[in-house]
Amino acid sequence: MSSSFDQIIVNEEWDSTDLSLLETLDHVLNRGLVIAGEITISVADIDLIFLGLNVLVSSVETAHEVLRKR
Amino acid sequence: MKLYAYCLVEDVDALDAIPLGISGAAVRLLQVDEFAVLVSNFDSDTVAVTRENALDHAAVVRSVLDRTTPLPFRFGTLVTEQQLSIYISARRPALQSRFELVRGCVEMSVKVIRELSSDNSMTESQGEITSGTTFLEEKRREIRGGEQRAAEANDISTWLHEQVENLTRDEQVTVRPSDKLVVAAAHLVARDKIPQYKETMAAAREIRPELHFLFSGPWPPYSFANMELEFKSQFGVS
Repeated sequence: MSSSFDQIIVNEEWDSTDLSLLETLDHVLNRGLVIAGEITISVADIDLIFLGLNVLVSSVETAHEVLRKR
Repeated sequence: MKLYAYCLVEDVDALDAIPLGISGAAVRLLQVDEFAVLVSNFDSDTVAVTRENALDHAAVVRSVLDRTTPLPFRFGTLVTEQQLSIYISARRPALQSRFELVRGCVEMSVKVIRELSSDNSMTESQGEITSGTTFLEEKRREIRGGEQRAAEANDISTWLHEQVENLTRDEQVTVRPSDKLVVAAAHLVARDKIPQYKETMAAAREIRPELHFLFSGPWPPYSFANMELEFKSQFGVS
């Protein structure tokens, strides 16, 4: 997973695997060509938009935690 | 039988070394007009949002990035072959325009985080609220704090834009002022400018040590695939 990136940097302290996953989810779930009305996904009754926002917030929150521990 | 659509490509008539797709299905090329779509068969009407599925989607799209710049479909795009054909034929000029924009480029992602001090935030509670006046003063502090965060976020966004404007073909910026100031930018960068872009971003980190940066890339141009098309499909403009 982490090998799919040339670079991921949050200062010097970061688990790039976790970050790679968050960044991937952020791109895949939030962006891309949409064929209107044709996307049907499921995740325990949570809709895509809600999940997408959480992914972004999660990546920020996780970064915040890492920075606080420094 | 539905098809799971991964991305739209141009100038690709054969696939090699493509990973398996969602649910382990083989990925193939479906030619539609002058484009081709990477698809795999899909038995259900619903795509589960799982880590594995999301990564499978990303891996398939990424697998063609070295040879071309695809327009990725959003995760969970299920279509019939007929629907796909109609969609592409109906939006052919807009798709051609999208390809003109992203051709030869990749997406680079930047997130900027700044932790505001309590002095700056102006939203910290100043003690127990004991009267209506105190309540209103507290609300005023909150509003001013929000305005300050928004202004700072916009300043950072502008500064970031100035650093890379000569290196980017397009950008998408989201400003999210919150307790942790966040600016999320996607830059569309020509492949031959990536080394210079990285050097510029490295220098930017040195210039603003109070900010925390998260860089990732290169990505397929997820953030540049859809805007105009979405607008047109939403409002029926052709």
